Amino acid sequence: MDRRTILALSVGGVAVAGASVAGISLAGESDAETLSSKDDSPLVISVRDAKKGTLDVFSGNSKKTVTDKKLAAQLLKAAGR
Amino acid sequence: MSSHREAPEISKDPVADSSDLYAFVSPDDPDTVTIIANYVPLQLPASGPNFFEFGDDVLYEIHIDANGDARPDITYQFRFSTELRNNKTFLYNTGQIESLDSENWNRRQFYSVTKVDSHGKSTVLAKKLQCPPCNVGKISIPDYEKLAEDAVVKLKSGEKVFAGQRADAFFVDLGSIFDLGTLRPFQDKHLVGQALFNYAGKAVNATDETNVHSIAIQIPLSMVRRDGKKRVKAEDSGAVIGVWTSASRRQVQVRNGEGTADDVYVGPQVQVSRLGNPLFNEVIVPMAEKDKFNALAPSEDKKFAEFVATPELGALLPVLYPGLFDNLAAQNKKKEDRADLLAILLTGIPSGLIDGFQNNTGKVQADMLRLNTAIAPSKTEKKFGLLDGDLAGFPNGRRIADDVVSISIRAIAGVTLPLVDKDFEPDAAAALVEQGLSIKDASAKLLKKFPFLGTPFDGFSVPS
Repeated sequence: MDRRTILALSVGGVAVAGASVAGISLAGESDAETLSSKDDSPLVISVRDAKKGTLDVFSGNSKKTVTDKKLAAQLLKAAGR
Repeated sequence: MSSHREAPEISKDPVADSSDLYAFVSPDDPDTVTIIANYVPLQLPASGPNFFEFGDDVLYEIHIDANGDARPDITYQFRFSTELRNNKTFLYNTGQIESLDSENWNRRQFYSVTKVDSHGKSTVLAKKLQCPPCNVGKISIPDYEKLAEDAVVKLKSGEKVFAGQRADAFFVDLGSIFDLGTLRPFQDKHLVGQALFNYAGKAVNATDETNVHSIAIQIPLSMVRRDGKKRVKAEDSGAVIGVWTSASRRQVQVRNGEGTADDVYVGPQVQVSRLGNPLFNEVIVPMAEKDKFNALAPSEDKKFAEFVATPELGALLPVLYPGLFDNLAAQNKKKEDRADLLAILLTGIPSGLIDGFQNNTGKVQADMLRLNTAIAPSKTEKKFGLLDGDLAGFPNGRRIADDVVSISIRAIAGVTLPLVDKDFEPDAAAALVEQGLSIKDASAKLLKKFPFLGTPFDGFSVPS
């Protein structure tokens, strides 16, 4: 499963929320010096709650929380769990 | 210490550990404020081949609140990048370093400065500014002072900046204080010490002959005041600014195991270190809460007000020094909030308590270093600052030579309580207690001009 596959899986019918965790700052992180969110830049997905399908998606300067049980299940399968 | 290794998690991450923060009206240019944030504490000078440096993966910030809401109106961001000249050598320098562009200097560090306004708009003020090298030794660097001077840069936007190694000027008898609150000059009065000593001891500066990495900025006062005025009166609320520093790391790091070049850093910045008033997180906040404190913004500090209102150290002093703090013990039994400490540390001192002085920022409780920018630098600094009538000293901002350890102990011991409770009579010991050190116990001489902190100790001269 490559990154584009994950992107394709995650766009369909998932709930997306911006990060709102204490200690996390986005201030001033939009300038050219900071990380890119372009297609070829790294993306990391963390499965926070597999049963609920809660995933944290880290890309560029951002973190988005999505709910996608199907994707969570596929990721678990890819991890051999 | 002021904030060196003050919390469990950050003590394992020295590159992001803020150890001291200073903010004072500049004696070399009184129309400016100098702010210095120290990181990477407790550096042994003899540290080759890999000398200390800022973290390329850390976002360092200095925040200024101009309107008392404990949120930054100005943030200066500092981002670092390291470059190697020569991939074939293990050496930091392959010959003498006589200039910042020396071909002999192998591992150099550069930084950018970005200013963020109250609306979150970022402006890159400068890129690829150079840090001076670490002070390897006289053989490698014959004129370190010249290199450091060359690394001071005046930006087109009006600020002056410096980032690099400096001698740590903070003075503290660490070995004594954290040995059950012993102050060597009073060791024979200590609960346990009185059975061991029949004489007063001489304090030892534990941080002497160590270095830090400093981020220093000098800013025109008109740029930090809320109304942009060049001149204000000390009683004006617009004269007061709140200052703090923070360090943050990307939320996710993936190590790919083939050198750092392939590692992945993504996600928002997560704050891992914060410093406003010296010693706040160190001796006010309980150990179980310290990591949380470092992750939060000052606007959240109401959560920590209870630890200021009834400080643990205030309860310990009468126990540790029997018979010396009886009035404080009686006050403690009343279980009243320490309104003096709440003001000094969380809201600033309002007008009317100290003649000609205030550094109040309003009702929002926040740990910020509060500086009344209308008060000119003192011609003769007093190490006990405001407690000794020196209005330009801590807790009005913080100067490098202020004895913040002793000032804090005296305040907690009750010398500031009469500001809000005229009936309280401080114990005689409260006005005498001190750690027994001064800036003279820091071996490196301070500079008379920006960036003020002295030349870092070199590894050849201070080999162990």
